[in-house]
Amino acid sequence: MAQHNLSTVISFEFFRTVGKKRFWIGTLAVPFIMAVVFGLLYASNTATDSAADAQKSAEFSISYTDASGLITPEQAGVFGATTAASAEEGLSAVRSGSVDAFFDFPADPATEAVKVYGADQGLFENNKYSAVAQAMLTRAVDARIGSAELSTLAGTEATVDLKTYRDGVEAGGFMSAVPPLFFLVIFYGLIILLGGQMLSSTLEEKENRVTEMILTTLKPTTLISGKVLALFAIGLLQMVIFSSPVVIGYLFFRDQINIPDFNLSALVFEPVPMITGFLILVGGFALFTNTLVAIGAIMPTVKEAGNYMAVMIALIFVPFYAVSLIFSNPQALIVQVFTYFPFSAPVTALLRNGLGSLGAVEAAFVIAILYIGAVLMFFLAVRLFQYGSISYASRVNIKTALSSGRRTPGIAGTSKS
Amino acid sequence: MSEALVHINGFRMDFGDTTVIRDLSFDVHRGETFGFLGSNGSGKTTTIRALLGIYQPTAGTLHIDGKPFRPEDGGRLGYLPEERGLYKKEKVIDVMTYFGRLKGLDRHAARTWSLEYLERVALADKAGAQLDKLSGGQQQKVQLGVTIMNEPELLILDEPTKGFDPVNRRLLMDIIGEQKTKGATVVMVTHQMEEVERLCDRVILLKNGTAEAYGTIDDVQNQFGGRVLRLRHSGPVPPSPRYTVTVSERNYSELSIADDTDEADILKELIAAGVTVRSFTTTKISLEEIFIRIYGAQNQVATSNFEMAEA
Repeated sequence: MAQHNLSTVISFEFFRTVGKKRFWIGTLAVPFIMAVVFGLLYASNTATDSAADAQKSAEFSISYTDASGLITPEQAGVFGATTAASAEEGLSAVRSGSVDAFFDFPADPATEAVKVYGADQGLFENNKYSAVAQAMLTRAVDARIGSAELSTLAGTEATVDLKTYRDGVEAGGFMSAVPPLFFLVIFYGLIILLGGQMLSSTLEEKENRVTEMILTTLKPTTLISGKVLALFAIGLLQMVIFSSPVVIGYLFFRDQINIPDFNLSALVFEPVPMITGFLILVGGFALFTNTLVAIGAIMPTVKEAGNYMAVMIALIFVPFYAVSLIFSNPQALIVQVFTYFPFSAPVTALLRNGLGSLGAVEAAFVIAILYIGAVLMFFLAVRLFQYGSISYASRVNIKTALSSGRRTPGIAGTSKS
Repeated sequence: MSEALVHINGFRMDFGDTTVIRDLSFDVHRGETFGFLGSNGSGKTTTIRALLGIYQPTAGTLHIDGKPFRPEDGGRLGYLPEERGLYKKEKVIDVMTYFGRLKGLDRHAARTWSLEYLERVALADKAGAQLDKLSGGQQQKVQLGVTIMNEPELLILDEPTKGFDPVNRRLLMDIIGEQKTKGATVVMVTHQMEEVERLCDRVILLKNGTAEAYGTIDDVQNQFGGRVLRLRHSGPVPPSPRYTVTVSERNYSELSIADDTDEADILKELIAAGVTVRSFTTTKISLEEIFIRIYGAQNQVATSNFEMAEA
């Protein structure tokens, strides 16, 4: 008895859902995006293999000094390294950019660190300097012992002390990567926490039939601007509130509660990555906010808008399909695509900015794309709101909305009398 | 009284390839109550939306107080749209205060006005309640309050009694009366002909985007001509080229007759046909009858007698 009409209900609910176009748009969007990502990954991996081969033989300019006497000019020549007159001269050459790297081998590499100085290439790319310095030393030791097997038995890796320089100033290393990555965390937090609110902010007027009364007291541009700015303020407030327990706990109760000891003073706040990260965060947030507001303006209900929200959320996670390439090969095709595609750009660019692999020109392009995209999406949202906010019962046709005159409904308008 | 507060001239509105309004012109005089009548789809709401800048007209002039309406002038307007609602998840007092501020009141004034209004409509204890916790009738009262905040000079009420219970209908009528007393101009978009006859000074009847009739109620009645002969009788009323039977019940009929027809001749004809006339009165044709005459054929919902008369 309890199952009476169950199959009818199941059938009705199932087919009314799968029979709708929006269901398939939302559903097929995920495999489609994944197919595109896998295609790009395949293309990138093919290119990366070639790049890796090329990198093995790739040379960057090296100068060195060797107090140990282990490395002969011939052995150094294999790596394209030339001797520097002094450690000061070598370091000065790196700072000025006339040479990419300077290795200062100590008198006793077994007990003293090899000092490596290089032009900053990003957190992960910088490791190549240490690797080459290590290789030079290993090769010299191999030659001295005369047997690679014996050197393996005897050898321990030398300690390498790496410092990198950007624009003549020492780069911050790992501790300088952490602060810009905060912007990435903030971006995720804002979108995930506020995405639904962004989507429903204009739908609320429509669902509650408030639009007409509102539009007689203010312009659509004012309303949308107000909503976007309010969302910014709400997002900021939420981030402050969410982070406050950690900050308060760390500052005032670190002895009472078990918070991992993390030396905040070691963090390096480099101005350029911090400003870049902030600009990308604001631009990305504005782009997503305006896009979700625009989607809300054309959808009749929150339920119908939900599918599109899922696609937007998926887009901020898509870059993680290529996270290994973002770390290891920022110039790979897929990383480039993710860097410049507006909806994957914030995450990819913020990640690369933190890792130090986002160049100034690239950053400028990304910021321009995000801000231009946000502005365009803002005007689209206003236009769609003007057109769609009194289309109470049906989804607005974007093409019709864009082709109609200002605030003029197309044939799909809902004027009743 | 005769100065036009609303002036619409040569208004045309196209939705894609469809023309909804074609060359519509009329004025609403300052201080009057104006009835804007028409069947569904005749273009009433479209005209109001274009007047308020929500739609951009394809052609024509739509002015309020000599200029196109701008949202900055929203404080002088009280608008009750056909599709209406408020922020249901917010508190009553917050919603009213918000709209008051949008209409140009400061926060304190908006809040004070709202509380006084809620007191008047016996909703003072609901000021802090979430709007969707109120009954439908209570929400309608709040909606009315929002509409008349800031003592608007122009009240535009689109199907104002739609969905209203009798109590709120009475409240609305009281409010309209009060606003009129204070000098407000009222535009009523409605199907309720009795309300129009009772409240409106002038009317316009819209059909297919053009004005079918326009003027005072007397003007419109005269324009369509004719009177109504109301009869109490026994025996069936036969059809005749002298009149049209618009209402036919067992012992009661209404006959539409031309202005120049002498009712005495009709009575003689009825008696000759075997009808026993017990009483009769003659009145002017009602707006409802005019409405049916205009839109009945269009919508094919007229009574069989009416259809017969048209044939």
